[in-house]
Amino acid sequence: MPLQVPELLAVDLDRGFAELVRSHGGVVYSVLLRLSGSSRDVEDLVQDTFLRAYTALSGYSPERRGALQPRAWLLAIGTNVWRNHVRTLTRRPVAESGVDVGELPLTDGLPGPEQRAEHVAERERLVAALAELPERYRVPVVLRHIAELGYAEIADLLGCPVGTVKAQVSRGLAALREMPRLTQEEVIR
Amino acid sequence: MSGRYEGPGGPAGAARAGLNGTASAEGAPFGFDSLRGPMPVDLGIRILRRAGVPERAYDRYSLVEGPVVALFVAHGRGAVTGAGPVDRYAGPEDFEEQHLLRTGRAALPAGRPLPGVVGALRTGRDRNLRYDYGTLPESRSRVLEAVRGIPRGQLRPVGWLGAEAGVPEATAAELLEAVRSGPAPVLIPVHRLGDEDGRPVDCGLPAVLVERLRAYEGIDEERLGRFAAAGTHYLGSGTTRIFCYPTCAHARRITDRHRVPFGSVAAARRAGYRPCLSCRPVAA
Repeated sequence: MPLQVPELLAVDLDRGFAELVRSHGGVVYSVLLRLSGSSRDVEDLVQDTFLRAYTALSGYSPERRGALQPRAWLLAIGTNVWRNHVRTLTRRPVAESGVDVGELPLTDGLPGPEQRAEHVAERERLVAALAELPERYRVPVVLRHIAELGYAEIADLLGCPVGTVKAQVSRGLAALREMPRLTQEEVIR
Repeated sequence: MSGRYEGPGGPAGAARAGLNGTASAEGAPFGFDSLRGPMPVDLGIRILRRAGVPERAYDRYSLVEGPVVALFVAHGRGAVTGAGPVDRYAGPEDFEEQHLLRTGRAALPAGRPLPGVVGALRTGRDRNLRYDYGTLPESRSRVLEAVRGIPRGQLRPVGWLGAEAGVPEATAAELLEAVRSGPAPVLIPVHRLGDEDGRPVDCGLPAVLVERLRAYEGIDEERLGRFAAAGTHYLGSGTTRIFCYPTCAHARRITDRHRVPFGSVAAARRAGYRPCLSCRPVAA
């Protein structure tokens, strides 16, 4: 790929930002969807993340824009946006946490075309299990395995030592494995 | 509650060692792959709008189901900026990346295609579309505009393009190179180009697709084959004393009794015929 986002950002903020949205929109969306656990507010969170990114980029020098690690940088903003969102939610009496498992569309128990339903059900069970995972494991697991960030990047982002991140990711995976929703035959091969 | 997560108990512990030991080979435990996906269509464009990014900084594109083949069609500022058959790309992302390389602009998915594109594909007439040829040299964009001038269901030899586009000195190879550099094959009807006998040329599209596009437009290959075998490249009308390309609409309505075949423009001229003003064979 001869044309990378940071180069484009350094040359032309607007075109670079459009390319940033195109190339990284999916990962920001996927991560925020799994962090918040419900699809209700995700589009707002994604918009918020990118709008903050744009404001920040407008203030950066071309050199700084050119040196950007776009994925980790965007997800740092996204994680903060999500945290603020959760904090706002907890202040409201309606929802107690950012994760609303009851809202997740579980295909379990729904009859459907066998093969596809089996695949979809498997995915939905993972989604639900992930949403049940405590936040301190869920965040690093999502950043590691959905965003595919390196441990050092995650450590930077969360402000903790690399070893801690590794431990949390591995405990998170272990916890997922023990979830009753994810039966052993399906997950561990 | 949390104690349950701390212990690497039982079978999970065994699996965990394998997963954790190979950080790079972790790949996608649990099928995390299935949880990665694109943004909802239009979300990217909504973000750019809200951020106040001007429209000249990006393009949109959509998947358009044509009658013969599905196309990705990108557009910006009211003009088509790029298009191509879906199966020529590894996927939407491949199209997006190639678009960025060619135009320098990101193409974001949009739910609605540029107005007129669906109709242009259905009718084979793209006259009411505008194209943004970007950095293509002007001589090349003139060649492409000439290709657009070939009516649906008709064929023109490559040499015809030179005179039409105002580059009479260009060789057939150069003209074809210009055709292949076009940003929107199929939408720009490159399949309506042929050699002297109307046989398909290397217009940048796969031969099978060219065949299907021609069949859809009702080009009678069998009739063309008969003319080719007889060495006929032009048809004259004995009543009007005008000669045309064989696929010209006027040539197709000449009755058998009045149809006069010619092998060359010179032969037609000698017989006292003048070239048709619609298909303009005079340059050939």
